[in-house]
Parts: sequence; C-alpha cells; structure tokens
Amino acid sequence: MTPPADVKRPLGPRAARITRSTVVKILVVLILVIEIYPLFWIFTNSFKSQYEFLNTPLMSLPSQLHFENYVQAWTTGNLGRNALNSIIVTVPSLAVIILLGAAAGFALEVMIWKGRNSVLLFIIGGIMVPIQIILLPLFTIYFKTGLSGSYWPLIITYIGHSLPLSVFLFATYFRAVPRELFEAVAIDGGGPMRSFFSVALPVVRNGVFTVALLMFFSIWNDLLIALTFNIRNDMSTIQVGLLHFNDEYGSTNYGPLFAAISTTVFATLAVYLSINQQVMRGMTAGSVKG
Amino acid sequence: MRHVLGNKKVAAAFLGPALLVYIGVMVVPVIWSFVLTVMNGSPVLGFDWVGWDNFARFFRDPTARHALWFTIKYALVMSLGQVVLGYLMAILYVFVLKKLSTFVRTMVFFPVVLPSVAISLLFSRLFAVAPQLGPVNSLLQAIGIEPVDWFATGSAAFVVIVIMDLWRTVGFYAVLLFAGLVEIPDEVIDSARVDGAGGLRLIRHIVLPMSLPVLLSTIIFSLNNCLKVFDSILALNNGGPGTATTPLNLYMFQTSFLYSNYGYGSVLALVITVLCLTVTLLIFRSSRRDLTES
Amino acid sequence: MANQVRSGLSRGAVLALSATLALTLAGCSGDSNDNPSGDPGNRATEFSVLITAENSAGADMLQRLAEGPCAEANAALPYTLDQTPSAQMQQKILLLAGQDALPVMFAAGQQFIYKDGQLAAAGQVLDVKDALTDLGVFDLITPAAQSVVDQLYDGEFPTLPLQFNTEGIFYNKTLFAQHGLAVPETVDDLLEAARTLKAAGITPFVASGKTGWSISRWVGEFIFRDLGADAMMRVRDGQAKLTDPEYVRAAQRLQDMGLEGLFINGITNVDMDTALNQLFTGQAAMMYNLTNTLQRINDPSVNTQDLGFFPFPAITGGKGSIDDLPANVGSPNVLSAKLYGPNVGVWLRCMAENYGSISMEAQGVYSGFKINTPVPNIAPLTAEIQERIDAATSTVLWFEALFNQKATTDASNNAAPLLTGAMSAEEYMSVLQADLEEG
Repeated sequence: MTPPADVKRPLGPRAARITRSTVVKILVVLILVIEIYPLFWIFTNSFKSQYEFLNTPLMSLPSQLHFENYVQAWTTGNLGRNALNSIIVTVPSLAVIILLGAAAGFALEVMIWKGRNSVLLFIIGGIMVPIQIILLPLFTIYFKTGLSGSYWPLIITYIGHSLPLSVFLFATYFRAVPRELFEAVAIDGGGPMRSFFSVALPVVRNGVFTVALLMFFSIWNDLLIALTFNIRNDMSTIQVGLLHFNDEYGSTNYGPLFAAISTTVFATLAVYLSINQQVMRGMTAGSVKG
Repeated sequence: MRHVLGNKKVAAAFLGPALLVYIGVMVVPVIWSFVLTVMNGSPVLGFDWVGWDNFARFFRDPTARHALWFTIKYALVMSLGQVVLGYLMAILYVFVLKKLSTFVRTMVFFPVVLPSVAISLLFSRLFAVAPQLGPVNSLLQAIGIEPVDWFATGSAAFVVIVIMDLWRTVGFYAVLLFAGLVEIPDEVIDSARVDGAGGLRLIRHIVLPMSLPVLLSTIIFSLNNCLKVFDSILALNNGGPGTATTPLNLYMFQTSFLYSNYGYGSVLALVITVLCLTVTLLIFRSSRRDLTES
Repeated sequence: MANQVRSGLSRGAVLALSATLALTLAGCSGDSNDNPSGDPGNRATEFSVLITAENSAGADMLQRLAEGPCAEANAALPYTLDQTPSAQMQQKILLLAGQDALPVMFAAGQQFIYKDGQLAAAGQVLDVKDALTDLGVFDLITPAAQSVVDQLYDGEFPTLPLQFNTEGIFYNKTLFAQHGLAVPETVDDLLEAARTLKAAGITPFVASGKTGWSISRWVGEFIFRDLGADAMMRVRDGQAKLTDPEYVRAAQRLQDMGLEGLFINGITNVDMDTALNQLFTGQAAMMYNLTNTLQRINDPSVNTQDLGFFPFPAITGGKGSIDDLPANVGSPNVLSAKLYGPNVGVWLRCMAENYGSISMEAQGVYSGFKINTPVPNIAPLTAEIQERIDAATSTVLWFEALFNQKATTDASNNAAPLLTGAMSAEEYMSVLQADLEEG
C-alpha cells in the first residue's frame, strides 16, 4: 500500500509565490467556512427554544442552552430506537455482503472453471440496474412471503443490491494478488478453503475495508429502500425518522428536530474522523494496490 | 495444483449463495418489472392486463414529461458542477496545497458521509425566508439585496437544490479526480517544466490531457448518479412548489407507493432505467478505453 | 379501471416467482399471523389499534381511556398501539388486509371503506351505526358528526368519529377593533377588511404552504358558498367537472387574493407553526383553520392575542349559506368486522360514553361524541364554537373530502403555487380533475 504522493512541484516561479500564497490562504479559509459554518449553525440552533426559533433571527445564538431538546429527541423523537434500527439493518447486511462478495469474487477470479467470465459479466451487469425498477416486484415478494413488517426486506434488499459492485471490486482485488501465493498453498496440500481464508482475505484486507466502508455509508444513508419496505414506525431507520419529525397537522418541534440532526451529524463525524485515514487511502489508492 | 483451484463443487459453493441472492433480488424483479408495465392493480388484489395503456399515459401525462425534463436538467447541471468544481479542488489539492491538502480534503469530503435527510433539513433552514430570515437571506440583505423566497418558484428552488447537492457531493468528486491527478508521473511534469511550461499552460497542455480518461469516466459516473436523485429533494421541499422540482425518481415513488398505481409506476421506473442504461453504456465504453490506454 | 379481465397468467407468475423466492428465503421468514381460534364471539385477543405516527393526540386519548374510565374494558381486552407514518399507512393497511391480519381498530383510507372500497367489499369493515345502536349508545354521537359521516359515506357508517373539527376563520379581535372592523358576513366584507388591515401594515391572512390544505380549503369554501353544499358531490358523481368555469372561478378568487398580497409573504415554505405563530403574536390578523388548534389558542404560553372565530362568509348571490357549517371527523377510525365481539363492544361503549368529555377536558378539542359528563372551565372561545356546532342545522364537507389520494396530495402541493400565481387557476383545477379521472 503506497500512500498517495501528495507532494508535487510548485507550478510557477518563486517570485509570484508570496501574493499567491495569500490568495490560497483566503481560498482555503473560504472553503473551510463554507464546509464548517452550516455544522456550527445547526449545533448552536439545537439549543434554542421553540419561541426563539419562531421569533428571533435564525443566525443568532441561543439565549440559553436548552439541553432538554436532546432529551426530547431521544425520548419522544425516538432517536435512540431509530439509531438502533439503523444498526440492526446495517451490520448484518455488511457482514453478508463482505462474505458473499469476497467468496464470489474468489470463485470468479482465483478459481478456474469454464464460463466464469460470462458469470462475472452477468453479475457486474447488475451495477447498471437502478434500484427503482426492482422495488415494486420486491414489495410484492416480501408481501407474499410474509416478510413485510420485519427487518428482513431491508437487509435482503441491501445485500442483493450491493452484491454486484462488491463482487466486481473483490474480483479486481484478487486479480492483483500474485497467483504464486495460491499455488504455494496448494503445494502445501491446502484446499481452496485455506486459500480463501488464510491467504486471499488477509492479502486484500484493505480492499475488504474499502468495500465495507463504501457499503456502510450507502446503507446507513439509504432512504429509498428504507422508506419503501419499512412499514412499522418502531422499525424506522434514522433517515426515515428524521423525515417524519412532525405531527398530524404539520407542526414541528424545532429544538428536538435540530438536536436530532445535530446528534446524527456529529456521531457520523466522530466515526468518520476516526477512520478518515483509511477512507482517503481507499478512495485514492485505486482498487489494485490492495 | 490446477485441480485444487479448479474444483467445481467448491467454486459452486463459493459462488452459489451470492448468485442466488443476486438472481432473487435483482434479476427476477427486473424481469418482473417489465411485465408489470402492461398491468394495473396491486399486490393485494392481483393485477389486470391493460396492454400499452400505461405507456400511453406516460406520453399524455404532463407531470411525467416535466419530471423527465427536470431530471435531465438536474443531471446535466449537477454533473457539470461536480466535475468542474471537483477538478478545480483536485488541482488545488495536488499543485497548491500539497501537504496541507489532507486536512482540507478531509473537511470537504465530510458532507459525503452525512445522512442526506439531515442535510436537506439543514438547507431548508439556511435558505428560509420565514418565520425568520435564514443565514443566506440575512447575508443577501446585508449586502443590499432583497431577501428571496427560495421555495416559491421552481427556478429558485432549483438553485437551492443545486447548491445543496454540490455542497454534499463535491468532496467525493474532488477526491476521485485527485486520485487521477496523483497518478500522473512526476517525470512528465518535470520535463514539461524544463521545456518552459508553467501555471495554466502546464495544466492545459499536460495535466488536462493526461487526466482526460479519469475525467471522462467521472463525468459519466456523476451523470449516472444524478439521474437517480431522490432523497435530497424529497426531504428539502418534496419536489415543490407543486411538482416543479419533482424528479422522475420521486414521481415514480409517489405514483407507486403513495397512489398505489403500480403498473404506471413500473413504466416510470423503466424510463429511469433506460436513461441510466444509456449513460452507463458510455461508462463501460470509456472505462474500456482507460484500460487499453494504461 | 379500464380493463377488468383478470389475467390468470400474471397471478400464476406472481405465485410461481414468490414460491421460488420463498425457497430461497426459507428460514428467514418472520412470525406467522394466525388468529387464535377458541371463543368465536371474542376473536380479538387484544384491543389493537393502528393509527398514524403523526396522530399523537389520538394515542394520548386512548392511553387516558385505558388507564381511566375504560380500565375494565382494558382488563378484558388489553389495549395495544401501533403507529405508522401517514405516508405509508394505506400501503400497510392493504398488506395487513391481504394477510387477514388487520387490528381491531385502524386508520384505513376513505377510498377503502367507501361502499365499493376494497375493504368494505371484502367484509372487513364494521358498520359502527349498527354496533352502537345495539349497544344503545348511538345517540351519543353528535348530530353534526352524524351528518358529516352521512355525507362522506353516502348513508353508510364505517368510521368512529373520535375527532370532530369545524372549520372557519380565526381572527384577532383587538386588531379588528383597532381598525373599526366588524365580523364579515360576505366575502366582499372580508376582502374589504383585509384591505384595510393591509393598508395598516398588518398581514391580513396567514396560511401554511407546507401544510397545503390550509390554503386549498379556501378554494373549497368558495365553491360551497358559491355553488351550494352538494357542489363537490356533483363532481364525485360526474355531473360536474372541476374544470367547469364556475369551479375554476373559486380557484381564481383565491389567486386574486394572493396576487393582491393579502396573504403572508414567502408562503410556500411557511410551515404550520410559523403560520400559527404569526397569528398568535398579532403579526397576522386572520387564519382559516380547524378547531383542533383551539388547544393552542387557549394556551397563554403560546398565544398572546385575543382571538375570535367566524364562519366562512357568504358569497352574494351564491347558492350556499353562511350557516352551512364546514366540518370533518378527522381521519377514519375503522373497526374490523371480523374481530368484533362482546369484548370489543365493551371498549366501544366506553369510548362512546367518555371520549367526548375526556377529549375536551384533557386536550380542549371536540369529538364526534357528546360531552357526556360536564367539563368545567371550558375556555370561552371553545364554548362559543360549541354553541355554533350544537345549533348547526346542516354541515358541508371540506374541499378534498371526496378526493382520491393523488388529488388530495396535488390539491395540497399545488396550493401555494396557485396562491403565488406560479400556477393558473385553470391548471390547478385541471390537474385535480385529471387526478380524479385517472386515479
């Protein structure tokens, strides 16, 4: 794994660099303000009372810190339940996607049999299929099989829809692994199982991480599938929960809503910052350097 | 040796589960969906054969036509924005910021991982005109411009949608293109500089041509994603005012799951698929060109 | 539906494919939903209720009943609650109906329980009138609520009118007095008053573009006052079209008011709280609303103004009357015919006897049931409107009452564009008419 080469040579002659560095500084500050200000704004607003939301400028700071907004977001807003639901559907989906995707990638790329290329193409074709077209039939299937009203429709759909891309990525990772490694295992008398678990998976562990990450964010942030198949309020994911944060006649409790958004945003930020190094490496290193 | 990795039973065991789920969740529903386009009904009551009625309805439905047009407009504007801004950011990372870039990259990338609903709720407040002016309108007022009712007309709402989705996604495209720029061999740039090329000339004559393949596939990848826009608009203004900013995807969702019109919904899904397919075929052609070049 | 020939092929294909998938999924299947047999008179094992997630008031009421006056009914048949976002409710009801797993009481859409509706046709819907009559408590439903249900369902009685709202214009008494305005009797008076207020720098009308019905109801009121109480029924029965000039005229009236600047600025993205806050802080003078807002109007920590109520004014020369009281009974509360039995009957009787009083006492809002035990300290405005309801000789429905889901959604979503002129009156009405025809 080679880290991306950040350092390139400067473009211009030395003389122009002083004024240019000021311009660059301003530009960077501007970019950071654009990125960070909305987050700051949402955080400060999450402490306002309903009265302040309606009667004081939105840009102002809260007059006092209404921590009860957070309490309400967790209790009446069901944020805790929704977060748990998101975890319940995301974690098993991810585990299965990785396992099935890697196994299929291994069978298609490392193992040798007739027709594997056509099967690979057949699966990769699925990347082209937009999720909309499979919603209606799946809805009917889940209904007829009695799965509606459980977590299964979400989990199964996430797995099925993520498989083509995962298989494709794993196949590319395995392609880059020197075949001698597998042959060495075979000479030692190891079977394909050993090849897979003790050679293939460890060698592409960065790839595993990248796939897991890509799929995690796409499942965690999914709205369309969750909205379509989830018909129980107590099974709403975070995204769906945020969408339904008002009452029957359209009134909203702004404080708790902002507290809920704020909690979601900063929890995601914490996760993101802790794994950010790998995210950037996974995004830039390309698929084949595993 | 060959026989170990050529064991068909093992291959089947490794591939089988994934293939089965893939066929069950993707392949069967796709075929099924084609069948639904000539049907009317619901999963509970069963479906009736209606022939080409649903297709005919698509052609006389002004909302659908508008949604199609809006989707294409959105995809073109967004892709242009994502790629141009992303490319500029990538150049900034690689040639100007250099070591500093890690921090900036991290911050700019961050919105990519945020829940889209949270971002939409945030932006609907940022651009608010009532109950109180939001930050954007306050800013406009401060520099002497009348506050704008951003969500009252389709064109103003479109501006908000584009700004929001750019904020949300540019970080991703910047990193994608950054990866492409980093791959340009240093020797190429060095030798160009020895030949006297600098600044914009270097970018135009060396960097741009060298990163063209990545740029091309990024454009098509971005188009393909934009054609499927859904969450951000649903949560921002539900495609309003009226249906002025309703993309096909949202209209399909409403038709099927809100109005229980499954047959017609399938036709709309088919239109989205055809759109994406056209663009995706381009992806494969361009990516093939990438491979043969490298 | 254009073609009713059932395709055996499609059903067969559906089943075959489901079977294939069922095999794939074997082992993941959830719990089964079969009903415990046994006492045939009491098929329900719990008083299971399904209402929208947004209906927190209803959930609160049922909880109060279960813990209070209906404790006995609750002991025999324990109350359980399930809530679903309204956007997914009808989808869920259809699913449950298909699996024969509907709860005892559920919020099925009007289209399903109306005469030929899917649930009514399948015998899933209890006739509440018969049941309440058997229990000897039908007369506890107020005459006004009876009249609303009667008009909505053409004589059938498939819903329990737990909620009851009359609609009209809430106005700021102080502002009216300051500018020497009387309560308007005709629409011309109303517009005159609005212009006076606007000239004084006060927003005459406020409504919420995000909660579009608060605008679209105006169109309905213009239609009822102009064309008579049965105007929307004629549209349902196909005797008139919304695109007929006399109907388009109603939308045009509203648009003219919008273009004249009589409504609040930036209405498209104004939500219900913002709109009410304008009224409650004296920044806006009038708002068309339902009486369920009384709870907030009567809360001094929310509303600082002295508000009054007047019925939607008459149109000079119109066929409708100012005495036609616009009213609704909230979203339907349907009782399952299949699960009905003596134990559900005990619950039903208890609700009929107590819902009205407790609703008034705890939430300060009306119910379709009479206030059986007197409630002390009713707020003056609430009491005043109660008198109007009691005195009403006839009720009219609301604009969207007889619409299908798509027309209801479009009426609401397009309301703000109609008001701001982004959509013409003809367009607005023709979209709705198309929705009614295409479904």
